[in-house]
Amino acid sequence: MNALPRPSTIFLAAITTLVAVLLYSPLFVPIVSSFFTISHGDVDWSSPTLSTYRALAENHDILAALRTTLIVGLCTVVLSVVSGTLLALYYHGRRSGRSILQFIIFLPFLMPPIISGLALLIFFREIGLERSLLTVVIGHTVFVLAIVYRTVLMRLQSMSRTLVEASYDLGATGWQTFWRIILPNLSSAMVGGAILAFALSFDETMITILVTGTQSTLPVRLWAMMRLGFSPDINALVALILMFTVLLCVLAARFLIPRQMATERS
Amino acid sequence: MSKAGSMQPRERRLSLLVTVLAFALPVIFVLVPLVIFLVYSFFSVDQGTIVYAPTLGNYVRFFTDPIFLPVFWNTVVLCVSVAVICILLAYPAAYFLTTLRGRWRYALLMLLLVPLLMSYVIKIYAIRSILGLNGFLNKALVAIGILQQPSTLFVFNMNAILLTLSLLLIPFAILPIFLSLERIPQTLLRASDDLGASGLQTFLRITLPLSLPGVASAASFVFVLAIGDFLTPQMVGGISGFTFGRILYSQFGTAYNWPFGAALSVALAIVVICAILIGERFGRSRGTSV
Repeated sequence: MNALPRPSTIFLAAITTLVAVLLYSPLFVPIVSSFFTISHGDVDWSSPTLSTYRALAENHDILAALRTTLIVGLCTVVLSVVSGTLLALYYHGRRSGRSILQFIIFLPFLMPPIISGLALLIFFREIGLERSLLTVVIGHTVFVLAIVYRTVLMRLQSMSRTLVEASYDLGATGWQTFWRIILPNLSSAMVGGAILAFALSFDETMITILVTGTQSTLPVRLWAMMRLGFSPDINALVALILMFTVLLCVLAARFLIPRQMATERS
Repeated sequence: MSKAGSMQPRERRLSLLVTVLAFALPVIFVLVPLVIFLVYSFFSVDQGTIVYAPTLGNYVRFFTDPIFLPVFWNTVVLCVSVAVICILLAYPAAYFLTTLRGRWRYALLMLLLVPLLMSYVIKIYAIRSILGLNGFLNKALVAIGILQQPSTLFVFNMNAILLTLSLLLIPFAILPIFLSLERIPQTLLRASDDLGASGLQTFLRITLPLSLPGVASAASFVFVLAIGDFLTPQMVGGISGFTFGRILYSQFGTAYNWPFGAALSVALAIVVICAILIGERFGRSRGTSV
């Protein structure tokens, strides 16, 4: 696309920079304030400090919420990866009823979270299930299942059939073929799906607010705190979460971008 | 792989079990709750308890009460504006990405998408402090001289919701537009160049029409995400920024009228389905294999 003359390129670069600044400014504010003290809207650049991080280590309320979030995230990952993979294996190569069930699986992802969340809220009430971490995990799993399912299904579809046929020709049983051929080929897609599922679960706020009981996850805890304003140690937490998120992104990219493309680029 | 013919009864029972499980999971945890939800919209509430008798009262109330339709309409307009703002910013950025080569293109794309994964609540909080009376935006505007003194134009009202949602949702617009731009065959652009078209002509007659499907999916994405959001308006909207999502949410909290809330959700779902269908209809690129 070299057809455009120079001034337009400059214009495009300027807009792109503006977009990047707009996207990162909300992240920049808490990170800067995690290292510097801010009073009356002005940053005191002269004295960097790690006191916010020390305060964070002593904020049991937040640490408990963080632990809850991690537990919910791990349960969600296990449930969604197992069921998503099984569903993908089941529907792969099967026509009858696939499109309608695929549609159902994708519904919670397409519908606004407030609708999925409220539907689950009423459902749990009707079946007499108290709101707890279990209901949160179910809510998250239903929400992220579509992503895992799709990731695994796409890998299955790109997997060559000859591999499976060769395995059968060489006398392997169905189970042997599954453990030695299919599962190893799916593993990177499953890891990639798991990372995406964890990232989505980690930050899920709207469904969680609706179906959570007394124990709250980190986003819900932050949401409750926000009405009163945050204490400075929250900024430290934000900075740490950002670092963690970037790390997750890099990992997810490694597992999800096909090998060929990665080698082409490097 | 001689399967169906030589199946043992035990195996057949196992495969039946697997089939039932594969159908049961999505049906129980997705379809059943949604159906119950829909049925709830035909119930009513009397003195704090739900009356399980079918009625159209909730829908009649939605259409006749002078409060709900205007808020509904205003929210739709708000979310369309959010989509327009996002696309106006995302299109040039996505276009710029496609002019880059190799690893820079994807590195920059990643850079623009990473903020998506960053804590949503924290972003709302930070944006609110930027837009606030003592916030960065007001300081900058005063410093440039556009404003005489800090203004409350962006604090706790519809403008605040508009700006915050746009800022949150830009990455969702960048990705589909980028993908559709990237799919345009380079040969078309070169052919246009060879035939003597100027850069602007090539853009207007080749690139722009071929990228419109991406713009349509981006718009429907952003719209759906914006209209379903009830936390952002709650946090930055104050009293005057009342959106449909907030009214809906309040039916399950302070107002305590689940059936009416369910009816409002049905209205929301219909708008969302329309938006998704429109996005699908125009989002299908017809000429990619040209």
